Amino acid sequence: MNRRQKEKLIKAIFFVFALISVVILGLIVFSLFREGLPLFKKVNIYDFIFGLEWYPTADPPLFGIFTLIVASIIVTIFATLIAVPLGVLSAVYISEIAPQVIKEILKSSIELLAGLPSVVLGFFGMVVVAPWMQETFDLPTGLNIVNASVILAIMAIPTISSIAEDALYAVSREFKEASYALGATKFETITRVILPSALSGILTAVILGMSRAIGETMVVLMVAGGAAALPESIFDSVRPMPASIAAEMGEAPYRSAHYQALFATGIVLFFMTMAFNLIADYISNKFRQVGSGTL
Amino acid sequence: MGVNAIINVNDVNFYYGNFKALTDIKMDFKKNLVTALIGPSGCGKSTLLRLLNRMNDLIDGTKVEGEILFAGQNIYAPDVDPVEIRKKIGMVFQKPNPFPKTIYNNISYGPKLMWNLSKSDIDDLVEQSLKQAVLWDEVKDILNKSAMNLSGGQQQRLCIARALAMKPDVLLMDEPTSALDPISTAKIEELIDDLKKNYTIIIVTHNMQQAARISDETAFFYIGKLIEYNKTGKIFTKPDVQHTEDYITGRFG
Repeated sequence: MNRRQKEKLIKAIFFVFALISVVILGLIVFSLFREGLPLFKKVNIYDFIFGLEWYPTADPPLFGIFTLIVASIIVTIFATLIAVPLGVLSAVYISEIAPQVIKEILKSSIELLAGLPSVVLGFFGMVVVAPWMQETFDLPTGLNIVNASVILAIMAIPTISSIAEDALYAVSREFKEASYALGATKFETITRVILPSALSGILTAVILGMSRAIGETMVVLMVAGGAAALPESIFDSVRPMPASIAAEMGEAPYRSAHYQALFATGIVLFFMTMAFNLIADYISNKFRQVGSGTL
Repeated sequence: MGVNAIINVNDVNFYYGNFKALTDIKMDFKKNLVTALIGPSGCGKSTLLRLLNRMNDLIDGTKVEGEILFAGQNIYAPDVDPVEIRKKIGMVFQKPNPFPKTIYNNISYGPKLMWNLSKSDIDDLVEQSLKQAVLWDEVKDILNKSAMNLSGGQQQRLCIARALAMKPDVLLMDEPTSALDPISTAKIEELIDDLKKNYTIIIVTHNMQQAARISDETAFFYIGKLIEYNKTGKIFTKPDVQHTEDYITGRFG
């Protein structure tokens, strides 16, 4: 075998490996649609998405997932509101302010946070946060929107922090020096030069953090409370889509309407996370700064 | 200390960690003159330049010994705020580094931080600074476009205008034309000649002809030491030290 053939072979091998993940993704999406779409022969799409009643085992069953969608959106929004300031500000501190030693400690503890299995966080929410919240605020249950949002935020912080940190590091040293040389303080340099320059990366970080939160299953299954009803207060229990799928899939008969409805819920979730990722992609391309010194 | 010296460097040693980058530097920079710092790469000339407005503070693990007087005050005294020093001693870098903002906002960035100016004052200042940097005619219609769209030479003049908008006393230039084409370089050199009426300019350059063309005084550095410092005409025609002559005539370096 000569050198050229070898090159070709190596190329082909890498291509196959690269292809595998794409093929697997394709197969998963295919089976998701194959199992979920038949539901819409029995229930129309509008009733499915905007229906307020989720009684999949009643007779006749009702498959309205609006309350589940609302639940997912609400916990994601609250988790984002908590996680974004914490994640972004810690990234700013780590990349721009912290002395070397503290930087190392903080970075590795945030990475450790990312490594915590979600079931451990869910367990923490269940046995520590929930009873405390129930007692402190005198609630019927501590498994509610606030609890789920806090735990989801803890999960999203490492994602947001590490991606935002990369974006901040990528801000060219030349911009910082230019700012300091004009007599700007560190704070002025951070708020007026570094953050705006890293904005696209930070927005990407936020959206990827949100997509992490909306798809997260174990935490919402354990601490969101599981009530498929429209919440009236932030201390109400809710049933986000992933929790519903995980809790019911085991008991839904194979290829029954209930089973198909759960897959259809999965399709909705799939489209939502895909939208988040597309937005993140769009932002990071659109606002990417033109590099300096286009000579 | 010379009569019209604006900066006095007194026995300065400088270290990056354990590496001694400058040894016993003692020199005065005279007001309203262009002083060129020359020498082979790694000789410490850029380091010295960055010491003059405390830019080396931004690098971890550096140490300064000795004193640098600016208008009679030691800028390395413990009670001196480097931010205040940098407002009076502006800097232009090797690679043009405009902010990824509009042309207008590039100029107004510094003044807005420093003074409480009205919109019309800032407008005037932007126009005046751009005129000083001979860029006004080229950009007056695109002030709200990104500075990133300008050519390299225009960007560098924008950076000069940005530094001038702070109304500094001294302008430090770190190889300001090394990334530019000959035409842009000529424009910047013309500009430097014009600016020395009002400013003291200290410029690091690798280009011998440039140093000879634009500077009044030239200092030659080698491995962290000041070898020779004199009038540019003298340095380039009859240097006192053989080493300087060897460098200028291209026998080494």
